[in-house]
Amino acid sequence: MNEPDSTTWRRTSPFAILFFIGRILRLIAKNAWQSLAPLFALLVAYQGDLVSKLALGGIAFAIVITSASLLSYWFFRYRISADSILIRQGVFKKKQLDIKFDRIQGINTQQNIVYRALGLVTVNFDTAGSAGNEGNLPAVTRAFADSLRTRIGSALPDEEEDKPEAETQTASLLRLDWRDMVRIGLADRRALIVFALIGPLIEQLDENIEEFVADFVKAAAANGIHFDTASGVSIGITIVLALALAFILVSIAAAFLRYHNLELVLDGRTLRSHGGLLTRHEHSMDLGKIQTLRLQQSIVQRWLKRYRMSARQAISGRKGRRGKVFTIPVVTAEIADELRSRFLHPEAGRLTQDPYSSRFIAISPYFMRSQILFAGLVPALLAIVALWQTLGFTAFAFLLWPPMVAAAAYRNWKRAGFMHDNHEIVRRSGFVGYRTVALLFRKVQRITVTQSRYQRRKGLASLRLYMASGSVRIPYVDHEFAKRLRDFVLYRVESSQLAWH
Amino acid sequence: MFENPEIAIDQIPHTEDLAWQKLHPMFARRVRLQALIALGVVTIAIAALHFVPNLPVVLILLLYLLLVIVGAAILIWPGVSVPRRGYALRDKDILFRKGVIWQSVTAIPFNRIQHVETSSTPLDRHFGLATLQLFTAGGSSGDLKIDGLGKDSAENLRVFILGRTETSIERA
Repeated sequence: MNEPDSTTWRRTSPFAILFFIGRILRLIAKNAWQSLAPLFALLVAYQGDLVSKLALGGIAFAIVITSASLLSYWFFRYRISADSILIRQGVFKKKQLDIKFDRIQGINTQQNIVYRALGLVTVNFDTAGSAGNEGNLPAVTRAFADSLRTRIGSALPDEEEDKPEAETQTASLLRLDWRDMVRIGLADRRALIVFALIGPLIEQLDENIEEFVADFVKAAAANGIHFDTASGVSIGITIVLALALAFILVSIAAAFLRYHNLELVLDGRTLRSHGGLLTRHEHSMDLGKIQTLRLQQSIVQRWLKRYRMSARQAISGRKGRRGKVFTIPVVTAEIADELRSRFLHPEAGRLTQDPYSSRFIAISPYFMRSQILFAGLVPALLAIVALWQTLGFTAFAFLLWPPMVAAAAYRNWKRAGFMHDNHEIVRRSGFVGYRTVALLFRKVQRITVTQSRYQRRKGLASLRLYMASGSVRIPYVDHEFAKRLRDFVLYRVESSQLAWH
Repeated sequence: MFENPEIAIDQIPHTEDLAWQKLHPMFARRVRLQALIALGVVTIAIAALHFVPNLPVVLILLLYLLLVIVGAAILIWPGVSVPRRGYALRDKDILFRKGVIWQSVTAIPFNRIQHVETSSTPLDRHFGLATLQLFTAGGSSGDLKIDGLGKDSAENLRVFILGRTETSIERA
């Protein structure tokens, strides 16, 4: 099992069944109704009391899942050839996956609690062109995963020059502690989304809550405590606050589950992270594959003086697929700059991605004009004209809209900016929070310089740099500068012999 | 050993004095003919409304008026927009410009092109035209598409560009 050189088709460890059970359960969770409908129909049709029905349903469910996982395990085979890994799977619909080593961008491993006790891991291959194809190798030994990793690493033609350096340098870059988990949990935007989702639900529950509050007040009154309206309101607020607290606690718990003891290691030119409380997640990415580096700060993170850093890789050809992202959930601006200078070393990394840096160059204030005009003034006037008949003078309330848009546009403009040197450019943007994106000139795919009529009059232009991971726009800069920068970037791309991917 | 000396940003040659190649002279005519065909279909659709009972004639007349205005605009527009389009070929990249109100110039370095495609619709073939499409990585957001090239120049461009896409690459 430890020797990946074999050319025969082989199965993984029987513990892979756990992986397949998990996968089937996730599949059911995604398409819950379709998958559970037949079982449910059986349950309803069967005569008897609820408990035995549920017991029967549970047993049937368990049998179906287990046998499906067993079959999946039985039909899952893999083979490692000289330059690729082949995976054959599927019970009824056979599928063969051929993952070429040179297309693999990184190898990630996951270890749940059972696997951890047994020293097994699930390997996941990050491939460049096939976001849809899941290349997973469940329940193989860690030694096997490591040997695969070195083997795939050596299949890449990059080792010759860097070898001495790559072999010796293994540096720990960052380790997150429990305070960072709390920060991640506090800044988790998903908690807000959950709130937005349960908002309508709370409205539905409103009556019940009201009843509950009324009962509570009655009970209190019976005990000689009297509430007035103000107390009623404060009870309501308390309930909302309690809910909010519960969500924050859940997000913090989730942060512990996902990122506990997260450590970031630079192993030669490969960046690795591992962490997690029950299931250990291990991610790796080749530094050369980074397309853009982002540093983001939401309102909460601003208060915590922390950022979220992510490195994006190339997206696949399929539409709508997002590229692979390597995320560092919480860093300070100083550490982020330190990290980026290591990531982009030696060619670049001398700029800063700290959005509060004074080195950012502002874009033209004419940037605000089109926003105010097309998002503010025009819609407001149209709304007044359209609703004049029905609303009368009230329609003039829409005149409050343009000043609001103007304020927003001003904020947007204040936060926009960029800086560059001979190798990279950093763009800053933001409305509520901040976001800075950095990219290497030599990795640009194509460039567009666009001018509207108004921009032509003012001698301005917008520059868009297309990367393999998406595009970065630098709006409202001097036209001559935009053209010069474009030609410089083209020169960098055309004279670079280094791989962009 | 590959050498790559540093060059300051203001020492780069400018793209100013480029000779922009115009598209094929028949292209505007093709665009107009295509528009006419579409307008014909719409006209037939409006004419069919005459057979709908209880439809006010004024409405149908209004639709005809709209058709005339939109039709005139569509037929005049290529005369304005097509001369604005053009491409410029350089040693290591290709530039394409377009746009009347929003003018843009897109530049693609040859060593970033993943593949090249030429295609032509029956209408294109009637006028001896072809479309050239250049694909770069990560480009779901519209790679470069050059409509209205002569059939021969599209083919020549394809061969020329393909000959220049092969580059030696070192890993970073």
